[in-house]
This record gives sequence, structure tokens and C-alpha cells, in this order.
Amino acid sequence: MSSIQIQNVTKRFGDFTAVDNISIDIEEGEFVALLGPSGCGKTTTMNMIAGLEDATEGAILFDNQDLGHVRMQDRNIGFVFQNYAIFTHLSVYKNLSYGLEVKKVGKSEIERRVKAMADRMSISHRLDQPASSLSVNEMQKLAIGRSAIVEPRIFLLDEPLSNLDAGFRAYMRAELKVLQHEFGQTMIYVTHDQIEAMSLADKIAIIDQGKLMQYGAPLDIYNDPQNRFVANFVGSPRMNLVDGELREEQGALRLMLHGGAEIRLDGQVKTAFTSDAKVHSGSFGIRPQDIYFGEKRADNDIRMQGKVEVLERVGPKRLAYLQVQETMFLAFDDQAQLRVGDDVPFYLPSGASMAFDLESGRRLGGQ
Amino acid sequence: MTDQTLTDTTGNADTMGYWQKVARDGPRMGFWFVLPTLLLLLFIVVFPLLMQLYLSFTWWTPLEGIPWYQAWEVFNWGENYWFMITDPRFWGALWRTVLIMIVAVPAQFFLGMALAYLFIDKFPGRKIFYSIMLTPMMIVPAVVGLMFFLLFQGTGPVNDHLGLPAEFSWLTDVNRAMISVIIADIWQWTPLMFLILLAGMLGVPSDQLLAAKLLGGSNWQNFVKIILPRMKTVIIIALVLRAVECFKIFDLVFIMTKGGPGVQTETISVFLYKQTFGDLEWAYVATIGLSILIALSILAVKGLSYMAKK
Repeated sequence: MSSIQIQNVTKRFGDFTAVDNISIDIEEGEFVALLGPSGCGKTTTMNMIAGLEDATEGAILFDNQDLGHVRMQDRNIGFVFQNYAIFTHLSVYKNLSYGLEVKKVGKSEIERRVKAMADRMSISHRLDQPASSLSVNEMQKLAIGRSAIVEPRIFLLDEPLSNLDAGFRAYMRAELKVLQHEFGQTMIYVTHDQIEAMSLADKIAIIDQGKLMQYGAPLDIYNDPQNRFVANFVGSPRMNLVDGELREEQGALRLMLHGGAEIRLDGQVKTAFTSDAKVHSGSFGIRPQDIYFGEKRADNDIRMQGKVEVLERVGPKRLAYLQVQETMFLAFDDQAQLRVGDDVPFYLPSGASMAFDLESGRRLGGQ
Repeated sequence: MTDQTLTDTTGNADTMGYWQKVARDGPRMGFWFVLPTLLLLLFIVVFPLLMQLYLSFTWWTPLEGIPWYQAWEVFNWGENYWFMITDPRFWGALWRTVLIMIVAVPAQFFLGMALAYLFIDKFPGRKIFYSIMLTPMMIVPAVVGLMFFLLFQGTGPVNDHLGLPAEFSWLTDVNRAMISVIIADIWQWTPLMFLILLAGMLGVPSDQLLAAKLLGGSNWQNFVKIILPRMKTVIIIALVLRAVECFKIFDLVFIMTKGGPGVQTETISVFLYKQTFGDLEWAYVATIGLSILIALSILAVKGLSYMAKK
């Protein structure tokens, strides 16, 4: 078990900067997700930790020791590949024992540990079979078991659940969390699936275009996104983010939306937008579950009027698509009274709304 | 077609044989397209084989004064085969061919494997080196023979380089002539081995290699436990291919030594050539050729079926 410090790491491939000056501190035993869209640099970051790639600039430290000159063979890293990289020409047993055999562990010791690990991953009945005969789900378990058996300092998982079917994926998500507690291992997990990241990780590092957008606990990131990208990326259904120009008339501040509608800003979100006088165009954010219908609940909540375009069932609730001129708002139909085609008032609670600078994407007046 | 044929078949396409299907549906159109080629192949492959088999049981030579198809007049009940079995010159030629094979093929294999291993990683100039590496096998074997003939002259570059006197002869020495031939063969055919083995090596999934490395395996351990077993098929193909090719070695030997000194570098092919054009023993040549063909076929089929089992 190790702590990891990623210090100002940059990785360039020719002219292309895959990872741009990222710094992340990971404590011993923490479960960290690297989250971002495809091609954002999260896998490159992980490859640099594993030693598959060398950082162009910056340093990666395990327990405050620079790994720049340590070969990947000697880093003692458990790495689970996206496609598992099972040795398909060997038996399940030989796959599990590989990491021990190459370290010249005694035969009886190997047998004991392989059996224990196979039991733990519930693949004991498959030990003598060729690994190529395993199902994808079993390969997943084997891949984790094969890495875990050598008791690595840290565990890296590259989109390990992306090939699984939906049912097993949910099971494996829970299983991974249990395993992480059992092994007590520092784990880094690469994913583009924010739900996976939110449910598994102690901390999430959100990366976009090679830059670290935000690093923190899942709930902190969810409640307090530091920029428009994070606000947009995290949460399901996504946050409503509407862009427009700020206009001040007779003391009233409005966000003139690009689709023609306007939001009369009030309360905390108004203060947030006015916190930086240089900002002229902004982005207004509100999560679907914060929008409400019916009676106005607080004085400075913002009233909007929109037409119900679509009602979509999401679990027990219904998600309403509200059209305000050219702009669409998503909201949960909390009172189950909406009908398609209704022209209804709805409210954006000022305290739950977020303000972003449209140009830089920066959060304005965050908590 | 009769109704009987139709009722005999179950009508289930999976259990029906090819000819049953033909019996039901009539010959496929494709059959007519393939037929001319089939006949041509029969003529090219089967006819000469049968002719060879036929001649091998006779005394016939072109000096006999009768056309080859009348060779039954000098039928000899397989005496050629007996003669071959008791012919020390044949066994000598066979042994020398096998010797070239058991020295050159492993040498080419290990060199090719080592070179291929160097080439799986990218390095500056890889493409250029790759092209240079493959050049020897592109050269016509006769030209390679000439090159090494010149290199191994008493006053040639090899002796010059090694500081040996002009009297130190390579190609006319009983032992060194064979060594020279083997060196030339290794030089020319290592690239083919390299090419095949590199293709096999690049076929080993790179993530499995990375996984093996990350599990702490040294390069040698990973090579033995991951790369080699995965290359088994390719290795067998390469070895069988080169082993069979070795039996054909002619140009190199003929140009470098003409099989000499004496018969010291006479291989099967050179021996056959001399029998054919020197001694005009065509029936005997047919006997040897056929025997070698059968022996090699068994060797190749064994090798390939061993591979298919794995």
C-alpha cells in the first residue's frame, strides 16, 4: 500500500499535449477515479503511473520516492487492463500463479495463495481449465485476482467494467468496493462513466483535454462544481446549463439566453453573477431535481414559464422537458400533475442555482 | 437422378455430404468454373508424378532408343530402389543435405529469433534496418553463390580479413567447403526466418506482454512463458518450411563448389543434377526424386499435424 503524488505531470506526443500539468495527491488506501470523456488524457495519466509511458515533465512519487528511474517490472503495480489481457494460452491456475512464479515463490506457497485467491474470486472450479474458455465476467475476476495475488503497492484499473453486461457490471461495482476494503489497497480507477466514479471512488479527478478540472470527494464535486465542464459532466440527468448575455437594466440583472428567453436573476445566483464585473456572458446552471412546480417557496426563487414538450419516465419519477422559447429545461415532475402540451410556471431556486463565466468556464461566487 | 437418391438423403443440409448435395441439386455452377483449372492441375502435378513412378520401375535412359512410354520393355521390378538403398553416394548426399539442415536451420532459427526480438520495440532507423535485413533473401541464390565464391577465394576478402594466407583454401578443403556452404546458406535464409518469426512475435498481444511485465516478469521469463508458447504455430511453420527448403539447396553449392572437392559438398539436388546430365540415369533419378518427395511429405505432414493438434 502506497501513497501517490502526481506532481505537475505533462505528457506530450509530438505537438499534441495529452496531459497538461496535472497534480494529484492520493493518500494511502484511497480509491480514486480518473474521470473524463474519451481522449481526455486519463488513461495516459494512468499509464504514466504504471510506467508504461514516461512523463515529459513533472514527477510521480510513490511514498515520496520518485519512480522516474524504476522499471515497470519493479514498480509492483497491479494493473487491470480494459480487455483484461488474460494469458489465453495458459490455464486459469497458471494465470493466477504467474506473478508469483516469476518472483520464484515456493511451490506450496504458490498453490496456497492461488487456491485462496481463486476462492475469493469464486473461480476455483475453473482452475484447471484454459483461461480462453472463461466468460467475460470470469475473465474480469481472473484479471483482478491475478493482479491482487502479488499484493501490489497500488492497483490500477483501466475501465474494468466497460466490457461487462449491465447486470454483472452493477454486481462488479459493488464487488470492487468490497475488494478494495479487503485489500486495503490504494486504487486508481479510470472511467468515462460518471455514475461508476460517483458510486465507487473516495475521490474523483475530473480531466478534460489533458487538464485537471476538479479533484475532490464525489459529493463535493456534485454539489460544488468548480467550473462549467464539471457541472455539465457530473450528475444524471445532467444539470441544466443555459448560456446567455448578462444585461443590467434599472437595477435588475437578466441573463438573455441565446434562444431568446431570459432569466431574471435574483438572490444568491444574482450575487454570484455580479461578483466579477468583467463577466458579460454567463452560464446558468440548475440541477433537474432542484426545479419545482406549483407555489413559489422562497421570495428570490426565479419564476419561469414553459411548455411541457416531452414527459419521460425515469424510475418512479417523470422527467419533464420544458421548452422556454428556444431553450430546454429538464425538471422532475415532482407533483405528477404535468401533461404534455401544458404551459406551466416553474421555479428555479436561487440558492441551488450556479453561475459560470461562459468564456473561461469558471464558477462564479462558489461556496 | 433417381427418386431413390433423393429419399436416401435426409434433406438436412448439415448431415449431407458434398456429393449427396450434388446428387440432389446437380453440379454447382462453380464446379464448371473450376473444372479447367482442375484438369490443368491434374496434368501439371499428377501426370509427372505418375510418369516418375512409372520410370522408377524401369531401366529406361534416354540412350535406350525407345520412347519413355515404352519403358515397360525394360521393367526391372524395383531394382532401382534396391540400388538406391545400397548406393553410398546417395547416402552421402542425403547425409550432407541433412547436415546442412541440422546446422543451418537451427542457426537461422536462433539468429532470426534474436533479431526479431530486437525488432519488436521501436527504435530510430527501424524501418531502414528492417529493409536491409531482408535484402539477402531477395537476392537470387545463384548470385549469393557467386558472392560467397568470390569471398571465400584463397586471395579473397575473407582470408584477407582474417589474415590467413592464400593457401588457406575454403572451397577446395574437405571440411571447410561444407562450412562455407553452410555459412552462405545461413546468410541468405536467416532473413526469411527473421521475417516469419517477427510476424509471429508481433502477433503476441502487446497488452499481455505488458501485463506480464507489470506482474514482475523479467524479459527472459516473459519471453519463455508468454511469447514462445504463443509463437508455437509460427515456429513450426518456419522450421518445416526451412527444413524442406534445405533439401532443395542447389545453386549455392553448385556455384561455390560444384559439389566438390570430390563429392564432399554434394547434396541431394547436386547429386540428382549430376545423375541427370552427367550419367543420364533418368530412371534412377526418378527413383531418388520420388523417395525424397515421399520422405519430405511425411516430415512436413507430421510437423503440420503436430501443430494442428496444439
